Amino acid sequence: MKKIVVLAMLLCAAAAVTRAAQRIYTTPKPDAELRQLFPAAAAFSPLEGQPLHFKAYAADPHANPGAKPIGFAFWTTDLVPQEHGYHGPIHMLVGLDLTGTLTGVVVTYNSEPYGYFSVEPPKFAGQFKGKTIRDPFIVGKDVDAVSRASITISSAARAIRDSSRMIAKQLLPEAVK
Amino acid sequence: MESVETWQDIIGPQVLDLVLLTAFAALALVSFFRKSVRLKYITLAAAVGYMGFVKSRLVSVVDLFAVADLNVPVFKYNLAWYLLSFFVIVSTVLWGRLYCGRICAFGALTQLMDTAVPRTLRVEVPVWLDQRAAWIKYGLLAAVLAYFVATRDVSIYRYVEPFWMFGLFGTTPMWIGLGVLLLATVFVRNLYCRFFCPVGALLGVISKLTVFKIKRWAECNTCKICEKTCEWGAIRGPRIIERECVRCDDCERLYLDQQKCPHWIILRRKSERLFMSS
Repeated sequence: MKKIVVLAMLLCAAAAVTRAAQRIYTTPKPDAELRQLFPAAAAFSPLEGQPLHFKAYAADPHANPGAKPIGFAFWTTDLVPQEHGYHGPIHMLVGLDLTGTLTGVVVTYNSEPYGYFSVEPPKFAGQFKGKTIRDPFIVGKDVDAVSRASITISSAARAIRDSSRMIAKQLLPEAVK
Repeated sequence: MESVETWQDIIGPQVLDLVLLTAFAALALVSFFRKSVRLKYITLAAAVGYMGFVKSRLVSVVDLFAVADLNVPVFKYNLAWYLLSFFVIVSTVLWGRLYCGRICAFGALTQLMDTAVPRTLRVEVPVWLDQRAAWIKYGLLAAVLAYFVATRDVSIYRYVEPFWMFGLFGTTPMWIGLGVLLLATVFVRNLYCRFFCPVGALLGVISKLTVFKIKRWAECNTCKICEKTCEWGAIRGPRIIERECVRCDDCERLYLDQQKCPHWIILRRKSERLFMSS
């Protein structure tokens, strides 16, 4: 009887915490982050399409409706929502140009216990600028390893790689793939 | 480009880690089943060295938060995390807080400290205080969970657990707090584990389910040898308080000792008397 009570209490506590866990953290209007990824862009489309992405334009598409985008930006959390670090998804905005090269990564939110010395320092996001979708993104090889934060770092690196490849597959010209 | 991930890509980097973790768990279990003092200290040293300073792999309230809001790491990439979690839960259900007693690097550290510190420095906590202070950790567990539910801030772990010390990253106030804690541990053995650890409290709750409990003889109703030997305040009269017991083997080694345990002494006397009278 006692055991059943204890077990029931544990389950209730877990259920209460789980219910409280419903939340969305994604930055709703990442204007500053988009400009950081595409400093040359004059305008950005809203977040739309399948898969969800922003388009970056060199000239305002309203004035010049025929303009082609110069690149794409997207949230890793939209493309690979199943990718969890130590404690939930790491929210990153990634920029990809038309040649399949990353223009940058911005980490906007993480709930990683060891985030403050792994994905939060600018050195982490900085190392992805200039990488291409063909790079392996393996921690310890072409991505810097951070001792004692390997779950966090490898999850973030995988999220960037997999989401970039998904966008490239859908939106980049055949030659790049 | 589209290099498809093969299972070698996924398992390969994790093999060494999984092998070492399995070997460590095996060592811990062998030391437990053989009730060997030497093997136990080897296990504790390995816990501090490998599980602590090399891997920083301790069960933390962070893991509890992750499970509580179903934000757990991806299975295939984090097999070691799942292996350790599985081992901790199963061993706790089967035998009790085995994890606290020999797997946790911080617990192992304070136990090793205990052997190094001169006995004269040690302050024995009076029983009434010991019994009350043991409840602090359950309060702390509830408070930490409530704080997490309310704020969703995981970084609270830094202030309720000293486990970050094995990663050597801490702010000055954190190091000062750790210094105070370790200094206090010189005087009161295993202070953090017994009174403050929220993870220990959680395992204490789970250990209510313990399947293979420590044997007690009828003689235990009156004998106090084990109660006095227990360094964890887990024996009160005839009863073993499972939620405080970390399966350190101290009392079980006494049970096995036919020169010390009254159970065996009485049996021997009885048989001697039978032999004399016949």
